Amino acid sequence: MKSILNMEPKTAMRSFWSRAGKARRWRAFAPLGVLIVLCILIAIANPNFIEPRNLIRVANSAAVPLTLAMGMTFIILLGSIDLSVEGAMSVAAMVLVLLATNDSNANNYGWLAVVAAIAASTVMGLASGFLQTTLRIPSFMATLGVWFIGLGFSVYMLGGSAVRLMDENIRALALSRFLGFPLAVWIALAAFAVAIVIQYHTRIGRHIMAIGGGEDVAELSGINLRRVRIIAFGLAGFFFGVAGVLAAAQLGQSNAVIADGRLFAAVTAVVVGGTALTGGEGGVLNTLVGVLIVTVLANGMILLGISPYIQQTVQGLMIIAAVALSLDRFNLKIVK
Amino acid sequence: MSDRASISHFGRMNRRTLMMGASAGLAVAAMPKRLWAQGAPTLVTSIRSLSNPYHAVWKTGAEAYAASVGLEHVTLVSEGNSEKGIADIKAMLAKTGGNMVLNSDPNDTPDARPIVEACKSAGASVVTQWNKPADLHPRDFNPNYVSHIEFDGIASGKQIAEVLFKTMGGSGGIIALGGLISTTAAIERKKGLDEALAANPNIKLLDFQVANWKSTEAFDLTSNLLTRFGDDIKGVWAANDDMGTGALEALRAEGLAGKVPIVGIDGIKTAVDAVRTGEFACTITSDPFWQGGMGLSIGYNAHMKKFDPATQPPEHREFYGKVVSITKDNVEEYYKNNIDSKPTMDWNDLWGRVTGAIRA
Amino acid sequence: MFAANGISKSFVGTHALKNVDIEIRPNEVVGLIGENGAGKSTLMRILAGTHRPDSGTLTLDGQPLRLRNARDAAGHGIGMVFQEQSLLLNMTVAENIYLGQEHQFTRFGILNWRAMNDASRRQLAKIGVDIDVTARASGLTFAARQMVELAKALTLEESVDRPLVILLDEPTSVLSASDIDVLFARVKSLKSRASFVFVSHRLEEVLRISDRVYTMKDGAVVAEHRSQDVTAPALHEIMVGRGLHTEHYKESKQSVPRSEVIVEASKLGVAGAFHDVSFKIHAGEIIGIAGVVGSGREEITRTIGGFLPQTEGALRIKDASVRFTSPEQAVRKSIGYIPRERRVEGLVMFLSVAENITLADLSCVMRGGAINYKEERKLAVDWIKKLRIKTPGPDAACRKLSGGNQQKVVLARWMTAGSQILILDHPTRGLDVGAKEEVYDLVRDLSAQGIAILLISDTLDETIGLSHRVLVMRDGEVTAEFDASRGNKPDQVELLREMV
Repeated sequence: MKSILNMEPKTAMRSFWSRAGKARRWRAFAPLGVLIVLCILIAIANPNFIEPRNLIRVANSAAVPLTLAMGMTFIILLGSIDLSVEGAMSVAAMVLVLLATNDSNANNYGWLAVVAAIAASTVMGLASGFLQTTLRIPSFMATLGVWFIGLGFSVYMLGGSAVRLMDENIRALALSRFLGFPLAVWIALAAFAVAIVIQYHTRIGRHIMAIGGGEDVAELSGINLRRVRIIAFGLAGFFFGVAGVLAAAQLGQSNAVIADGRLFAAVTAVVVGGTALTGGEGGVLNTLVGVLIVTVLANGMILLGISPYIQQTVQGLMIIAAVALSLDRFNLKIVK
Repeated sequence: MSDRASISHFGRMNRRTLMMGASAGLAVAAMPKRLWAQGAPTLVTSIRSLSNPYHAVWKTGAEAYAASVGLEHVTLVSEGNSEKGIADIKAMLAKTGGNMVLNSDPNDTPDARPIVEACKSAGASVVTQWNKPADLHPRDFNPNYVSHIEFDGIASGKQIAEVLFKTMGGSGGIIALGGLISTTAAIERKKGLDEALAANPNIKLLDFQVANWKSTEAFDLTSNLLTRFGDDIKGVWAANDDMGTGALEALRAEGLAGKVPIVGIDGIKTAVDAVRTGEFACTITSDPFWQGGMGLSIGYNAHMKKFDPATQPPEHREFYGKVVSITKDNVEEYYKNNIDSKPTMDWNDLWGRVTGAIRA
Repeated sequence: MFAANGISKSFVGTHALKNVDIEIRPNEVVGLIGENGAGKSTLMRILAGTHRPDSGTLTLDGQPLRLRNARDAAGHGIGMVFQEQSLLLNMTVAENIYLGQEHQFTRFGILNWRAMNDASRRQLAKIGVDIDVTARASGLTFAARQMVELAKALTLEESVDRPLVILLDEPTSVLSASDIDVLFARVKSLKSRASFVFVSHRLEEVLRISDRVYTMKDGAVVAEHRSQDVTAPALHEIMVGRGLHTEHYKESKQSVPRSEVIVEASKLGVAGAFHDVSFKIHAGEIIGIAGVVGSGREEITRTIGGFLPQTEGALRIKDASVRFTSPEQAVRKSIGYIPRERRVEGLVMFLSVAENITLADLSCVMRGGAINYKEERKLAVDWIKKLRIKTPGPDAACRKLSGGNQQKVVLARWMTAGSQILILDHPTRGLDVGAKEEVYDLVRDLSAQGIAILLISDTLDETIGLSHRVLVMRDGEVTAEFDASRGNKPDQVELLREMV
């Protein structure tokens, strides 16, 4: 019988790979294509879009979602979900304003407040991971619980009202600029760089992909599932904390609802970027594109003067279109 | 109008109650009975929460009034739990034998009916604010259901718009940020803006966007609108102060804070501070201090038969209260009287802030 | 050098291993054979550290060895190549080879990709295959994946300072004959550096590759032979407790087809796969298609199964012209498709036996719009008895069953759904001899009941033995048609001539 190994192995492999691969590679770039087409269309309709000032604004609006989505990407790659985004982010923002100079108490810890804020949400992430692995609670439920605990805690600490952030150095994250971009944008880019390194250049990143691809195989290969899970959720908490600090700096205040709607936005960005909810496919590069699609779309709809009453509909259509283009549907017999 | 002015606070309180739950349930039962000796009625305030600044001020007003007339005053907190709110009121009615005056901000619209019915059967006097079903009327429960007070969203929306236009010098473009599309308060306030725009043809509404009462969404929207309209934006109208402060931060990031005036509604502290620094042109408040004291005063005067509710005109039974606008002209005074110290109020001027009967 | 003594292991309801002793000597290939459920896989898992024995000990070079997990085993130079699908399809070849061992290429927490890819290339070079290490595993053929798995096991050579023991669990079940030759050549050349345990149900292969053979039956080792001292039929007899049938194709069991035409394909084609294919299947008839990989026979089964709509020609099912665009439409036309990859396509592994049986047609256990669990169980128990499915019970999850028993569950499902046409795509792949015979009997029973069957299979024996007629395909065309009815079985050599 003819066989793949009997043929010149290299060409056999290559031809097989390129056949399956071409379609796959093309699909991997679909979200990027969507982003480019979107930018071109908006720029044609309203040339203001490509004005440097606007591009800076787009970058500024993308800063918080990008940082959040970095954390969410790892969790989704793992094949899990983290619902605690809003809780973790509001705790970080709450810890930040209450420890930095504010109009509610006399604290003035400066950058220590930032460290404490990020630490707090990292601990929440680790707790989510710990709950799942030790008590064997599914990530959906464990993080749902952590979400409400976090939110309840920050409502309690803030007394239900907004507390202003008055530390000028921290406010400078949003107000000062470097090379034209607010510092928040640079921090988000740094978070992105860290995420890239983690995903593509560290063991933990590799192991997250492995677990997402097949938990039992990963285990047979000697990967400590528990440890990887806990670290992944801790990482996610870290990114959520950074996002919470950026959001508080941008708004100059913290209230318990500072993170409202962020969970949906983060998951949307990750999925639109082409990362599969089933895990193991995609990554932080995809997520960058996803975040930009969502942000550019929001910016573009305002620029084009689309009525607020139909903006949500357009967003929904866009999500479906982006996902439809990027999914390798032939490989996905069961669409969950 | 069944939604309350500071509707954006609702979410917080409701979430908060998830945690606080039923802890205060036994508060009423634990109170000593001798407080309710026959003769002078007891003043009772029923509000949602003490942790939000709005109701905290409400309670201060109620206590100020109670002190001015020398009566016992009790505050009941529902913690966003309708059943608890109603049960606590019924318990108080039982303890006082109906000799009480209730000023209630019902937790939810349907709650007003059982509260009013319980007061009627116990012989207590009751004033409700903000929430009641449309078919529940004080005139049907004479003399116990004295009055119902709300604040006119259309008038508020119009009033801040007019201050904004005046600050801008009567001409130029504005952007407007509305609340959650489906809420009554959002719809009414936008209507007020539209009326003001119709009366000022030199003002151009560049765009109306929905920021869902949230400062974060207002922040992003305002940034984007700045791209689209740039320097054409001469003013920002926001349907509440939270969105207004979000817009302010977006302006600040572009170095425009204080150059483009903003108006909002609620009178939250951040907004009042911004009025002082000139970044907000105005904010308006329903004045919870007045609401807390005057609700009791109206109820007490009816209870003591100083007037007969049945003979009062309709605009004293269901009326819109007058909102207080805080602008740079009166902000220092407002700050001195309301934030640095407790305001003084003529509690006998029962109908001084009536602006008209509630629209059917 | 590596030995297991007195190993026993039981799972809920079954006694998987009873006091098993085996020994693996240096530079040796040890064969391990046995019927489905004889305990081969369980023994392998214990040797690989993924299962722990209830009693008994493992020793390595005379020292007692306790293995807590696969990593432990790897640390002692024991690697395993699994039967199916144990590569992560979303990762590259190199990532798969060094999965769990990335620390070798990590400095200051940062992974050196290039070093890892280079090392992977070296690993593959050891076994003489050239596969793009940056390609994703999903793009590889089964044969190539098997090679990658072998390379992965061989990475232990670098990290462990002793000869390796490599466990090969049914490595040939998804390989074609020539790929098997390649694999065996690799194993032989590696013998100087490692010992192998080779599990297979193909006795000839086991004898060809191994130096010694252990035969397992019912959880115990019943025989040990040197390979040159024993023959396949002798081993078979020990393994199943009965001899090979003398009547090669068991033609006497074959029934005669009826006259009614059930499936009629005329000039059927799918662009790029096959074209101009015409045949009829009568009620009770088994049509076998012989052909090499790429001849187009797989695509024909997929077209009739509703996975791949035809682009030319006509397909008639019971006198109705059809063009299926989804498997569901085919199921509605009472076509049952029995796929080769049971784990992926055939069964929902985490559902129970009973649930899998009623998956295609729940109506027979619906009572008043609700599933009647009692009925469902009863039905399942009937099938378990009728098809002799070895399972702890109707409620056991299908993933706990052996391959042959899983296949029986698939058949039971289509019988329950009242299928009149069955497509058997490699129905005995991965099954051992005894289980195969049971499946053959089952297929013949079905044919006798009037069911039309389209068969493609791994071996010509199977195709010729079961079929009434055999179509031979090459490069997407039918090159010959042979009568294979009782007494007229064609010669395998004739078929082969048309195939290649």
